[in-house]
Amino acid sequence: MQNMMRITKNWMMTAAFLATASQALASDSGEAPNPFAGDLGNAVWTLVIFLIVVVLLGKFLWGPILNGLQSRETFITNALRDADEASKKAQAQLAEYNEKLDQARAEATAIVEEGRRDAEVTKRTIQDEARSEADKMIERAKREIGIARDSAVRELCDLGAKMATDAATKIVGRELSAGDHERLIRESIDEITARSASRN
Amino acid sequence: MTAMLASSNPLNHVVQHVWGEPIKLADSGVFSTFTLMSNQIFMMVLAAFLLIFFVIRAGRRRRGNSGMDAMVPAGFGNFIETICVYLRDEVAKPALGEHTDRFIKYIWSVFFFIFTCNLLGLMPFDAVAYFVTGMPAKPFHLGGTATANIWVTGTLALCTLLMMVFNGLRLGGTAYLAHFCPGPLLMAPLLVPVEIIGTIAKIFALTVRLFANMMAGHILLAVLIGFATSAFAVGMVTGVGVTIPVILGSVAINFLELFVAALQAFIFTFLTTLFIGMSVNVHHHDDHDEHGHHEEGVAHAH
Repeated sequence: MQNMMRITKNWMMTAAFLATASQALASDSGEAPNPFAGDLGNAVWTLVIFLIVVVLLGKFLWGPILNGLQSRETFITNALRDADEASKKAQAQLAEYNEKLDQARAEATAIVEEGRRDAEVTKRTIQDEARSEADKMIERAKREIGIARDSAVRELCDLGAKMATDAATKIVGRELSAGDHERLIRESIDEITARSASRN
Repeated sequence: MTAMLASSNPLNHVVQHVWGEPIKLADSGVFSTFTLMSNQIFMMVLAAFLLIFFVIRAGRRRRGNSGMDAMVPAGFGNFIETICVYLRDEVAKPALGEHTDRFIKYIWSVFFFIFTCNLLGLMPFDAVAYFVTGMPAKPFHLGGTATANIWVTGTLALCTLLMMVFNGLRLGGTAYLAHFCPGPLLMAPLLVPVEIIGTIAKIFALTVRLFANMMAGHILLAVLIGFATSAFAVGMVTGVGVTIPVILGSVAINFLELFVAALQAFIFTFLTTLFIGMSVNVHHHDDHDEHGHHEEGVAHAH
């Protein structure tokens, strides 16, 4: 019920308001108005006001705005150009660094390769030297062994000859002449030599 | 009832109301009177006042004083600069090319002056004054749309014509004059008048387009509200019944009018720019044709 009364009251107020408004809007009277109403005064006023607006706005508003826009354009253009240049420079530097890096890598590889090659050469030299040294030692040892053997054989032959002579002397009972000794020794040596040669 | 209907002629709310008596210059003729002040002239003065004292201040606001901040607008300055940038880059540059910055201040002024006048025309100063004081706004009608006056729009269009001719001669020189005779010289007696008529027609179209659009919207609103007046003359219930849809419709039309206020200011500015561009870039015949068709398209569209 209270709602109804409130709605009715609101409607009444709205109606009163609209009635007043329409009365206000209907307050004109007299002859039919001309939609093209106006005269030279309007034109002169328009011209004066518009020119004042153009001049004052042009001086105090459009000037700064246009300068701002232009300086902003210049700023942006410069910034873009600088960025472009910086990018190109960075790319050039990157390329340069990459090149240097490649060079360094190649140099390092070369150094390592050279080191390896040197090491290989050194190794081979050392091995060759060692081998040659060993060969020499073996050769020397063989030679010494040969000499020792020859000497031993000779001593053995001498001893054998002497013992044979002694034995023969005892057996034969007589002294052999120097010439017989010589001949017997030579024959024994030849026989021993031939025997050792056939054994080898 | 007849008297009531006659008195609520919707045109009454749209036409100019002279304050005081106009000066009489002659007994008859178009230039017989000189209005010293009227509601529409007052609104124009108000528009200029707002532009000079508020928009300049708002438009100059920057985020800071130095460096990058000095280049960045702040607050309402953003709104103004956005429009300025759009008009410069999207409207002026394609039409004016290298001459853009020479004319851009004028173009910005045209837009903001017309836009402000159009917007002020939507303010119901008269009705507000009536509700506040309880008295009809007589003898001084307040409010009104300055751009709904054909003398105002005509003068603004005339400024465009002056800009076209003056700058056409200044920058185009003989090429601009030759532009009036695009064919062989023998055809000049035919072509020159046609071109001159064409130029005047452009200016006339500019005048009428703005005037008619601003006038029509306001007449529509006045007619709608006139329905309410007539309905209340019949009875309270009818009055309320009619007025509610009228109010809703008026609100909708007011939104449309807001759009039209911006659109018409833009179209006037756009065409002014194109016409100036056609005058100063007369050697670009292809551009001329293109712009001509473009202008025609815009005119048909609106």
